[in-house]
Amino acid sequence: MADRTALDGFLHAAPWPQRVGLHVLLALGRRPRGVALLRRVAGVEQLAQGVIGMERYEAPAVARALGWDPEAVVARGRALRRAEGRP
Amino acid sequence: MSAELLEADVCVVGAGAGGAVLAAELAEGGARVVVLEQGPRHDPDGFTARPMQMMARLYRDAGQTFTLGNPPILLPLGRGLGGTTLVNSGTCFRTPAHVLGRWREEHGLELDGGRLDGCFARVERALSVAEVTPELAGANAAVARRGAERLGWSHGYLRRNARGCVGSGVCAFGCPTSAKQHTGITYVPRAQAAGAEILTGADVRRVVVREGRVQGVQARLAPGGPPSGGASARQSAAASARRRSAGVLEVRAPRVVVAAGTVHTPGVLARSGVGAASGALGRNLVLHPATAAFALMDEVVDMAKGVPQSFYVDEFAAEGIMFEGVAGPPAYAALALPLTGARHRAAMADYRRLAQFGLMVSDDSRGAVGERLIRYDLSARDVAKFRSGLAHLEELLRAAGAREVYLPLPRGVTPERARARDLKLMAFHPLGTARADADPARGVLDPDLRVHGIDGLYVADGSVMPSSLGVNPQITIMALATRLAFHLLGRPAPSAPTTDEEVPCPS
Repeated sequence: MADRTALDGFLHAAPWPQRVGLHVLLALGRRPRGVALLRRVAGVEQLAQGVIGMERYEAPAVARALGWDPEAVVARGRALRRAEGRP
Repeated sequence: MSAELLEADVCVVGAGAGGAVLAAELAEGGARVVVLEQGPRHDPDGFTARPMQMMARLYRDAGQTFTLGNPPILLPLGRGLGGTTLVNSGTCFRTPAHVLGRWREEHGLELDGGRLDGCFARVERALSVAEVTPELAGANAAVARRGAERLGWSHGYLRRNARGCVGSGVCAFGCPTSAKQHTGITYVPRAQAAGAEILTGADVRRVVVREGRVQGVQARLAPGGPPSGGASARQSAAASARRRSAGVLEVRAPRVVVAAGTVHTPGVLARSGVGAASGALGRNLVLHPATAAFALMDEVVDMAKGVPQSFYVDEFAAEGIMFEGVAGPPAYAALALPLTGARHRAAMADYRRLAQFGLMVSDDSRGAVGERLIRYDLSARDVAKFRSGLAHLEELLRAAGAREVYLPLPRGVTPERARARDLKLMAFHPLGTARADADPARGVLDPDLRVHGIDGLYVADGSVMPSSLGVNPQITIMALATRLAFHLLGRPAPSAPTTDEEVPCPS
């Protein structure tokens, strides 16, 4: 659910032409027949799959499996800022 | 709609690389300063180290600004106190001497011969600029270093504005340790401490000019928007009260400095009916278009552990080709990988062994910004630089021991056969859309960065630069803003440092 929110936020903050375009690309990119359609336009399939992948690997559990722990990075940052009086 | 009125000696539009520096220097010099920033103040407690979330919060248009042309180019811009310095990689290069020489010869700007050295030194001290250590640079930089050493190519660790950095790996998505010394946490607090009033959520509509002389600025204030800040708690509270009650703000000031950034400053000037006489307003856009390749290594790289942009290879800088580090967490890599389908999934499964390095071109192409659209087509000459650069980038990564190299080109297209439309480009350094030139027929600004023919109206951002730099521009913008601040205060610019303080430029 958290990751759906991240994608929604990403789309919501975009200007409307990009938002509409990405909605269409993502809808196609999640379906085999849609991917086949996207493949006909150079670069578009990559963009759609890149955004879908971004959403997938944004999830902390998925990222942790690849050696990246965003929660630990944030916690360390917060502790350093508190301890050293950083802004 | 009621209009709130403020008065100041100087009104600064924008709190990024140029505006924040200018505001702090002016306020500390005794001027009454009001800063109008369109974006919010960002609290580091809200930084999540998750790219997609942070792009939506920290970037204009969620980082989805792009140029129209061949090829389209993604142009991410920061939004808020700090501007793009909030989300850049922190790389600090002084303006190369050959660029300053060209500006003198072609545009009549006398900035070479060490004239900016004192301003650079002042900025570098303020931002704690220092070279990245190999340990902090991480394994991604070590891959590029190994390749450059095996090929005998010129290289080095980058200088950055960071203090107490622990290599969190997310400079572009909000530094969680506040180690990156962006202007939102350095110059903005200095400006406030010296009495400047900083208003966020202020969308400047026009600069008011009468009979060739600036009168002030008109802005719209976002109702119920983010809080604003002032010189003291009392002033902050007063400013917040104004923000809630007023929809329109007028700042009366005999001097206005527009620092809204290369993409938006031309719009502010055009809406104000100034700066168009030369025909250069909004034109001459250069971007430093960039791309990057991935490499699958034998060793674990963990590219996001360390400083993402910590190392450069400038062997081909004279040809307008610069290589610099780039890296990020898995979500970032998933977006950036130039692969699809099963190949994308396989590469992501090997994320820990992926390395990445970037290629940036000093462009001869010229684009234009309008109120809504940005136009930019890559010239044949710049396409040739990308062909050469991508071939060298592959050579670098193979020399480092890459098992596979993933170039940002369609399958089956080799670097030497790449066309503009084959290139997958981003750009981070828009410059030139209100360029300075001593000749009013060729430039928007005079050599003092004053709008030609308008008393009291100045510009202090990347738009003032007449050409590409070939290197990251943030401290060039800041040094020029420092110089302008001293000019407005009627004081000589900071003097050049002693020899042992001087910092060489690697390109």
